[in-house]
Amino acid sequence: MSAEFELTRNITIGQYLPTGSVVHRLDPRFKLAAFVVMILAIAICNTYVGNLFALAVCIWMFSVSKIPLHYGISGIKPAVPFIIILAIMQLLFYGEIANGGTIYLKYGFITISSESIRLVVVSAMRFVDVIFLSSVLTLSTSTTELTHGMERLLGPLEKVKFPVHAFALIITIAIRFVPTFAMEMEKMMKAQASRGADFGTGEWWRIVRRTKDMFPIIIPLFNVALARAEDLILAMEARCYVPGASRTRFAHYKASSKDYLALLFSIVISVIMLGIPF
Amino acid sequence: MTQNNPMVSVKNLSHVYMQGTPLQHRALDEVNLEVAEGECLAIIGHTGSGKSTLIQHFNGLIRPQSGSVIINGLDVSQPKLDIRTLRRQVGLVFQNPEDQLFEKLVGDDVAYGPFKMGLPLEEVRRRVHWAMELVGLSFQEMKDRPTFALSGGQKRKVALAGVLSLQPKVLVLDEPTAGLDPRSRKELLERIRTLNREEKLTVIFVSHNMEEVAQLADRVYVMANGKAVLDGTPRQIFGNQELLREHHIGTPESVHILYRLREEGYEIDPGAYLPEETALEILKLIKR
Repeated sequence: MSAEFELTRNITIGQYLPTGSVVHRLDPRFKLAAFVVMILAIAICNTYVGNLFALAVCIWMFSVSKIPLHYGISGIKPAVPFIIILAIMQLLFYGEIANGGTIYLKYGFITISSESIRLVVVSAMRFVDVIFLSSVLTLSTSTTELTHGMERLLGPLEKVKFPVHAFALIITIAIRFVPTFAMEMEKMMKAQASRGADFGTGEWWRIVRRTKDMFPIIIPLFNVALARAEDLILAMEARCYVPGASRTRFAHYKASSKDYLALLFSIVISVIMLGIPF
Repeated sequence: MTQNNPMVSVKNLSHVYMQGTPLQHRALDEVNLEVAEGECLAIIGHTGSGKSTLIQHFNGLIRPQSGSVIINGLDVSQPKLDIRTLRRQVGLVFQNPEDQLFEKLVGDDVAYGPFKMGLPLEEVRRRVHWAMELVGLSFQEMKDRPTFALSGGQKRKVALAGVLSLQPKVLVLDEPTAGLDPRSRKELLERIRTLNREEKLTVIFVSHNMEEVAQLADRVYVMANGKAVLDGTPRQIFGNQELLREHHIGTPESVHILYRLREEGYEIDPGAYLPEETALEILKLIKR
């Protein structure tokens, strides 16, 4: 009960857990590339065993980076309803498309076959894999490193006029302000509760009323966000920020054999995953 | 005023933030405090001393983890307590309360609280009228003004009226004048004084401005590192230089002058902290 307004505690995005493990010390460019390779492999792989293998690798990575597994599990919790809804939808409506294998049930438009069940199970597992993987990535890499790595990896796109730097900056700012706005929101909720507002007490099916209950928070929050944005612009301009100007970098990364090994490792894992026939 | 039944009674209150995480932090440590009905209490202390955590207990935004908070007979640690009854007794005005305005029109925003209480329209109207006049906004003139066209000082008054319209017995303010221009600051202080002296509200306010504390408070409560380190009248606290030094408490300009004079060897009463009293003390010196 005393924690009803402690919003900042529940935010795991951008949360960094410095344990100083091997994974933490990897060059962010290579780490990011390795994660992209593995996520692609997970997205393509549609076998039971392949996904189980991926899950095992993910769990193993938690132990290598010395991050307690419950951090990953708490990342899955909010996604559970989504995974379930997706699974039901796929089970009901995807039978026609994924109609290979043995057909177990055919009733009107609903077709349940071994293939559609595979699809359902595999997509749920993919979700878990991806959440685990990205948890390891964000928990073991500071947001600065992450955006640096991304900026460097996307570097070649600058040749086709893609605003890589601006893109990286947008993401940095967005992540930077998540905890700030969580605190603002906490303050707003407390302020409105002090004036007699109550949140989440209405019955859940009265969606309109519950949405209206949120107005006293959302409107001021937008106001505060816009004011903060203006402050940020001024602060950046005061420090001579010019969009698109060429700039030198503070952080320099140097790849070591460890980093190449990590990338190689991710490729090997992916090949194994995709090579497994079941 | 009954001495036995204080308006606010805090006993052995402790609070730990982010309990069970590596970031856990003890914000309150065995705090005891009693505020009598009609009193005006200033809570002072440096950032992170636990002031905000303490005042959030007064209207149940934070429930006591250990110890007890009793407001006008309502026990905040009781899980069965109807929190809205409590919040009608204790009006809490946050820092920069103008951020919380959300309705298009001033009157509607002030009416939010009473409407949420489920009061009939006539009563809501009466309360909005009362609250707006009390903070110095003319009901007729201001109720249909758009909220976002107001000045900072006016917005703050609207926010204060929004809390007063709940007709609380205790008014708790977190740095009520921070960020206001001198004129709005002075006016707001006078409004708060009126609420305390004439409307007989119990006022508890957090402030870093010692002039304000000297002007308003009947009693000063000093916090440091989650603990209460001093509790006394402004005269006792501002009049004791050793205490002030020991706890790094700033002083109003008037008290500063008194101490300077005493250092120069003049015989003077440093407890004369109000500007008028200070002036009298200096006059006495000149006439001698």
